[in-house]
Amino acid sequence: MLKMTHLSKVYRTEVVETYALRDFNIDVKEGEFVAVTGPSGSGKTTFLTIAGLLETFTGGEYHLDGIEVSQLDDNARSKIRNEKIGFIFQAFNLIPDLNVFDNVEVPLRYRGMKAAERKERIMNALDRVGLASRAKHYPAELSGGQQQRVAIARALAGTPRLLLADEPTGNLDTQMARGVLELLEEIHREGATIVMVTHDPELAARAQRNVHIIDGQVVDLAEDPRFHTAYTAAAGQIRG
Amino acid sequence: MQIKPILAAMRRHKAGTILIGFQIALTLAIVCNALFIIHERIARVSRPSGVNESNLFVITSDWADNSSNDNIDAQIKADLTALHQLGSVQDATSLNSFPLHGTGWDNFIRMTPDQIHMTTDASVFLADEHTLGTLGVKLIAGRNFTPDEVQSLTIQDMKGWPAIIVSKDLAKVLFPNGDALGKQIYASNNNTPSTIVGITDTLQSHMMDSDDNAFAYNAVLVPMREVGTGYVHYLIRARPGQLEAAMRDVPKALIAQNRMRIFDPDDGEMTFAQVRAKAYERDYGMAILMGIVSAVLLAITAAGIVGLTSFWVGQRRRQIGIRRALGATRNDILSYFMTENMLIGVAGVVVGTLLAIGINLWMVTHYDVARLSGTYLLVGAVVLLLLGQGAVLAPALRASRVPPVEATRSV
Repeated sequence: MLKMTHLSKVYRTEVVETYALRDFNIDVKEGEFVAVTGPSGSGKTTFLTIAGLLETFTGGEYHLDGIEVSQLDDNARSKIRNEKIGFIFQAFNLIPDLNVFDNVEVPLRYRGMKAAERKERIMNALDRVGLASRAKHYPAELSGGQQQRVAIARALAGTPRLLLADEPTGNLDTQMARGVLELLEEIHREGATIVMVTHDPELAARAQRNVHIIDGQVVDLAEDPRFHTAYTAAAGQIRG
Repeated sequence: MQIKPILAAMRRHKAGTILIGFQIALTLAIVCNALFIIHERIARVSRPSGVNESNLFVITSDWADNSSNDNIDAQIKADLTALHQLGSVQDATSLNSFPLHGTGWDNFIRMTPDQIHMTTDASVFLADEHTLGTLGVKLIAGRNFTPDEVQSLTIQDMKGWPAIIVSKDLAKVLFPNGDALGKQIYASNNNTPSTIVGITDTLQSHMMDSDDNAFAYNAVLVPMREVGTGYVHYLIRARPGQLEAAMRDVPKALIAQNRMRIFDPDDGEMTFAQVRAKAYERDYGMAILMGIVSAVLLAITAAGIVGLTSFWVGQRRRQIGIRRALGATRNDILSYFMTENMLIGVAGVVVGTLLAIGINLWMVTHYDVARLSGTYLLVGAVVLLLLGQGAVLAPALRASRVPPVEATRSV
């Protein structure tokens, strides 16, 4: 589903070259729920922006759903973002000028979908996240948890093949975070591929597989069961 | 298209939207009326005088001594004889005034001696047998004056004008059936009738005020040399291509006839082109002023649109990034801002059209202004919409270049 091979991302200024990702390899299979963890500045977010085609990369290969994306032009990248990828951001990223219904509608409009189908999908998606009754509300009138649910509805309405989540619970309190996480798990059970970047060990522990990034490279600890156990225990202590 | 969500978003930016919409409306209203005034002035300036204006010039001789009227009459005759002998001169005539001059003598024209209200008003040109030839105005009916007919009189001595030539527009006003030739009218200040012996092609009067527009082509030619006014206008037709030579020769020839005369250094000698320019300088001035006002207003409106859209683009960078992340192409972003501007523009144009009609109606009732034609509103509306689209293009292109990764930048 998502396969990066020897991928690198270099930020260049006049005086210095910084490798955000270096010889980066990852292979996410269809239907997997992968958590990407790592310290601040390790390259997690860079990985996610490249995976989501929000940014280009410097070297290597990236196959998304079988398509090699490095040669695609801006329009083709926009189309893939629109049709194959659903984004969930830490800051929710709703458009403050639009109400809930119109926010969920944004990606569907860019797809050129007919109004009737849009409406059906929007109401289904809002129903799914339990916010059908708030369709006419503006983001500022909703709690953080509700806003993130709207963002999830927006991602779901387009029935994406891949859901990319960047610290989806980072701005939420524990209770709201739990609700959002349960929603993600439910979506995963229904067959979606989810890649989630997170600091939250509890969240990471709920994923099927953990990928750990340090200094722009994947460190293959996550598949080591001992690490997994230790990580979960540590998480438990923190929570406890 | 995405009109509905754009309208929804605009509701959240009411102040700026209304401000720009109102600016567009006001600009349209003022520019439409200004363009209409410009058009009216240009139409006025480009109306024909009926005179063959090339190779024609005027020299005004002010008498510097108090000669008797008989002496002045003899001097005018001698001057004209001398002018006709110049190689560069084709024809010459003396006149009290001439088309486009602005000042002159106009008389109320009556059909019967006891008529109290005038039928119309007309320029009175005191002319001779050379006047039509010099002006290059054709007779379309009847005959020219004969040398014997031309009297020499002061205004006070006038006893009536037995024979007159009228312009075709005056003939049509007086005799709409087209049978003016040979008819009698009352054109002079006493109650003696004048017989129309000739009808000229189009001939403009001396009157330049817009109040006199109705009489602009009414002219009566009377066979007379006026003396006792202290000056005389000579109109001179130079031979083709010899205008400059004739304008050099004529003053010398006149001075050689009699040194006791003055040619005003400013407007003593003018080509007919200069006469025309002077006659219409206020119209040109008004047209230029209105043009400048329109250009400045359009520039201010364009600048306002550029400024406000740039501000909105800056303010919505993150939102643009989010839209890009959700699948908007660069074109989608470009068209978002173009459409937004078009919606504001259309609203502004609708309000502006009503405002323009209102301003025009107010001017129609208070000033001598015609009703605004719909073409101006249409052209004005299209110009403003295009101006808006042009002004919004640069900031909209900037918006379309906001990268999708902007969505992930922290607030």
